[in-house]
Amino acid sequence: MRLYLSEGSAQGLKVLAAAGASGARVRLERVPPDGRVVPFLTHPRVPALHLDSGTFLFSPNAICQYFFLLAGKEPNDLTNQWLEWEATELQPAVSTALYCHLVQGKKGGEVLEAIRKTLTYIDQSLTSKATPYLAGEAESVADIVLWATLFPVLRDEFCLPDELEALRSWFQTMNLSEPCRSAAASVLTPKGAQEFKAYLQKQPGPSLHWEKPAAN
Amino acid sequence: MAAAAGPGPEELILLEKLLGLKKGNKYGAREERKIPVLQTNNGPSLTGLTTIATHLVKQAKKEQLLGSTAEEKAIVQQWLEYRVTQIAGHSNKEDIRIILKDLNLYLEDKVYLARNNFTLADILMYYGLHHIIAELTVQEKEKYLNVSRWFNHIQHYPGIRQHLSNIVFMKNRLYTNAH
Repeated sequence: MRLYLSEGSAQGLKVLAAAGASGARVRLERVPPDGRVVPFLTHPRVPALHLDSGTFLFSPNAICQYFFLLAGKEPNDLTNQWLEWEATELQPAVSTALYCHLVQGKKGGEVLEAIRKTLTYIDQSLTSKATPYLAGEAESVADIVLWATLFPVLRDEFCLPDELEALRSWFQTMNLSEPCRSAAASVLTPKGAQEFKAYLQKQPGPSLHWEKPAAN
Repeated sequence: MAAAAGPGPEELILLEKLLGLKKGNKYGAREERKIPVLQTNNGPSLTGLTTIATHLVKQAKKEQLLGSTAEEKAIVQQWLEYRVTQIAGHSNKEDIRIILKDLNLYLEDKVYLARNNFTLADILMYYGLHHIIAELTVQEKEKYLNVSRWFNHIQHYPGIRQHLSNIVFMKNRLYTNAH
């Protein structure tokens, strides 16, 4: 199977770390962020996985899940819930935060505030379950998926506030794990978060739905 | 206007009935986007449409609806995610045009979303698209012929439609071009 990736994409980081963590053997193909890979999609989507059967998977989370399934690791209610939350809540929040910071030049504190609610949610979940990983005692697909999405915002100038201790400890554990480290080395260069900028500038601006004032 | 399966709990209640589950699950809804929450008897609550739907399928012991091979399971998950991220209620006209165009191309050589097997992805996509397909003109239904064929096939699956309106397609158009 062929895994199509482009540089500077957090979603690329995600699928590469998942391949490493599950031992999936893939052939890497580097393509530009706007490269057309999936034949039936109007808007280019990278990363994408082309299976030997001819099937294209274009959802990074489904690709990660597929790698874990090949390793015999089935999803459960908790991992499903984390993946759905990551796709519907965390990803839009993080890409808006990154867009505000890298493209519009907003400062760190302001940007962190935009994702504060999602960070607190993860921290509280880790604290209340008192487990080292998101879905229990062992690392799962959920840890890889959330780590990769958070990596571009948490890895340099924004540091986590002290009170989010459980999140900080989990994030450090993930940062140090071999699959995550080598994925980061492969997708990113030492330029800090800036390489995400080039990628983001090619994407349509994020929808700022939660920035609307709350209805009374 | 045809009654639509709203986002959130309403859709899960339709799914419960389709799966033949007894009533008794309690649903809540979070935030203005009405993200469904299921309070389970023997554990913590579950949040999110596709997470709860997957849980209900397992509860009904109909795991085949989640796909039988690793590949099929990933395809089902992919379209479930597509359902909650792309077809999430507030889609504008241009978004809808792209969704229909992409699905039409994807379904060109397939009976169901996961190729030859009916799965949860077809069920939730049907509920999610119902109000969109209901508003298409005859010309649009013809333009998105593969989507129309798929949708018509799914709405006739036993037990799926329930109180939702039956959407009429021009039969001869749908089938004369079929392989």
